[in-house]
Amino acid sequence: MSQVAAPVLPARYQVVERQEETHDTVTLGLRPVDQPIPAYQPGQFTMLYAPGIGEVPISISGTGPDRGLVHTVRAVGAVTRALCACTPGRVIGVRGPYGTHWDVASAAGNDLLIVAGGIGLAPLRGALLSALGRRKRYRRVVVLAGARSPEEVVFARELDGWRDDGAEVAVTVDQAAAGWTGHVGVVTQLIGRAHLDAGQTTALICGPEVMMRITARELRALGIPAARIRVSLERNMQCGVAECGHCQLGPLLLCRDGPVISYEAALPLLAIREL
Amino acid sequence: MSGVTTADLTEHAFLRGMADGHLAVLARDCWVVPVRQGHRLFTEGDTARRFWLIRSGHVALDVHAPGGRNLIVETLGPGDLLGLSWLAPPYQWQFSATAVQDTMTFEFNADAVHEACESDAGLGYQLLRRVMSTASSRLQATRIRLLDIYAAAGTVHGGP
Amino acid sequence: MQRWIRRGQETYIGDEHPGEVGAVDNPAEPGSVRLMEATALDRLFASLHDDGYIVIGPTARDGAIVLDELAAASDLPFGWGVQLAPGGYHLRRRDDTAAFGHSAGPGSWKQFLHPPREKLWSARLADGGFEIEQAGRESRQPRLAFFGVRPCDLRAIQIQDQVLGRGSGNSRYAARRAAVLIVAVNCTEPGETCFCTSMGTGPAAGPGYDLALTELVSGERHAFLVDVGTEAGASVLAGVPHTPAGAAMIDRGRSAVAEASQHMGRSMPAAGLRELMAGSHDADRWDDVASRCLTCGNCTLACPTCFCTSVEDVTDLSGDHAERWQHWASCFDLDFSYLHGGPVRASADSRYRQWLTHKLGTWHDQFGSSGCVGCGRCIVWCPVGIDITEEVAALQAEAQANQIKNAETKDGSP
Repeated sequence: MSQVAAPVLPARYQVVERQEETHDTVTLGLRPVDQPIPAYQPGQFTMLYAPGIGEVPISISGTGPDRGLVHTVRAVGAVTRALCACTPGRVIGVRGPYGTHWDVASAAGNDLLIVAGGIGLAPLRGALLSALGRRKRYRRVVVLAGARSPEEVVFARELDGWRDDGAEVAVTVDQAAAGWTGHVGVVTQLIGRAHLDAGQTTALICGPEVMMRITARELRALGIPAARIRVSLERNMQCGVAECGHCQLGPLLLCRDGPVISYEAALPLLAIREL
Repeated sequence: MSGVTTADLTEHAFLRGMADGHLAVLARDCWVVPVRQGHRLFTEGDTARRFWLIRSGHVALDVHAPGGRNLIVETLGPGDLLGLSWLAPPYQWQFSATAVQDTMTFEFNADAVHEACESDAGLGYQLLRRVMSTASSRLQATRIRLLDIYAAAGTVHGGP
Repeated sequence: MQRWIRRGQETYIGDEHPGEVGAVDNPAEPGSVRLMEATALDRLFASLHDDGYIVIGPTARDGAIVLDELAAASDLPFGWGVQLAPGGYHLRRRDDTAAFGHSAGPGSWKQFLHPPREKLWSARLADGGFEIEQAGRESRQPRLAFFGVRPCDLRAIQIQDQVLGRGSGNSRYAARRAAVLIVAVNCTEPGETCFCTSMGTGPAAGPGYDLALTELVSGERHAFLVDVGTEAGASVLAGVPHTPAGAAMIDRGRSAVAEASQHMGRSMPAAGLRELMAGSHDADRWDDVASRCLTCGNCTLACPTCFCTSVEDVTDLSGDHAERWQHWASCFDLDFSYLHGGPVRASADSRYRQWLTHKLGTWHDQFGSSGCVGCGRCIVWCPVGIDITEEVAALQAEAQANQIKNAETKDGSP
């Protein structure tokens, strides 16, 4: 379910904390200067405005005190580079929250499986923290995270805390030097070792589209129904309020009908080239 | 007399579904071998005369690079087959294998298994099918890793 | 033309119309049908101007019939018609003095409701942050009278209302829309490229107009039936000479419009377009059309329902002042679908497919109706003359052929 609940003007948020995750990824802690934007649900995104430069859609990674927001940004273009360069005190713009959410609560009573590829762990972090905050609602909480190399694992410093709070966390990288005691291999290779109970699992997947497709394929091969697998899709987004037409994926407007959609709905769309 | 029974082997994911008769043949030249963390099971360049099925723990395949560094190629864990180079000439290990943690394995004598497969084609087929499936999965996974999908756009050809 | 002499008198030429005494005694009401002479158009314009409306309507200029501000009724393109073909548009002289005997002009009403360029807001950049200035607070919204809205274009406005007027995002559109008065014109003479009947949008105007005119020209006689839609429309007629329309005139007007639906230049399948589009992603036809399509985007400019925009952030040289602008964009632009280093839709195939399947198919899923109103502009204004009715027919033929092939395989396979 989605709602267009927010106005079109960017609200002012001040950077209060800055954490370098990797060589090109930064997590910003933001606090509202004026009115905060409406409360968000994990999976939703905001349009972040780098003053004078432009806006990008970034999924919310979590919340902070005083209606604060946590955003993890990777520097890949002019706007994101400017955002990543922000130091505490700078004020940026935030519009949103927009889009659909992970619906973590629907996994209550079941095993919650979170599979993340690269920076895809950021949109899932809120879902994980929400589940850990109500740990008894869920049976197992399993996190499988893939990254390029050990230096590029986001939220690396938080993993042990998640384990302490009751999550089973496994990390794998594509390449590693000796000394790395974790897994080396693609993230789908962790699935078999998780010994999942297909009948009781709800899965949330986020990462590059290739990674989401192969992961969903593995999970379905195990017997997890497509309706209980959710992915977070991405397309060019500009207005965030379903009026500019850029974020279309077939019948869906991803700013309104996504970014989180069930794999049942996503599968036929992802199968069409250049849709 | 190895002490390994067909019951022990049938539990292992790699051998699931294999007929008892075939399992019995494999069990004859099979030992339960614990491996200490840090122990090297085989070294790049040596002759491949054994292979293992991992029961618990993890093993890293690595290559040696100048400057004294070892680059990890892949990590294998419970349910996985360790060792492919014993199957076909030149019967030489392409990588080294080191236990990342204390690991329990079934160790097999490659020569004995070859002989058994020569006389029982059915056993040979069953084994090779499983080996092929494993090799195929690893090839697919490796191809995905080669795409470097987590790299920032512009450095990778392949799009979203 | 005879001028209206004075109120309370009738000066019809050779007409058996019984008529009744002037407008003053019989004020128009919503739902009523009035008769107005063409000579009264001046008074209608004066009434609109008096009520503070800027009148926008068709006028002949630069070799086309364009929509522009009209100072007086004489600016209307009396006696001008058009000759339409795929990739072809020519003004021609009509042999009568009809003001609305044309269609598919290059512009549509969207340029006034959904401007090609628009400033969303401006901000002062300072102190490590920014401050939004009087955001989008425009001076009083000018009242516009859209004069001569064809039924297809009326539907197009309503379709854009669904896209742009709904959410909380675009109060600018809602404000502009609320200040518009619509004088529709029913069609009695479809253009060669029209297919409104197939799309269920004409040739008679559906609800949503304030006034709807039906032009009646024969010999020296030039009059308009006026269907009064709303109170706003009725009040505009005050001070304009008109009489209740008699049954014979009404019948003449309705018949002319009904006749028009039989003479459409083109047609679309009556039903199943959404399903046809949904099933056509792998059709061979896309290669065919892509070999002709220049991806120039003219169709998206001319189409009255195309609404896509892009956002642009700009600063001045000092860096102290930032603005966000919105401008029309087209899904045919290569960077429209840019994501992670390249476009998602790179090939012409995929971009044409996106436009057509959206317009006729997924528009239903997104906004609850078809996006096409059958105005034919995309056919006329395509430089290579691609005709969507022809493309749809080809896709349908291909789908049917595949169905037969699949059925045969099922039956015939051993």
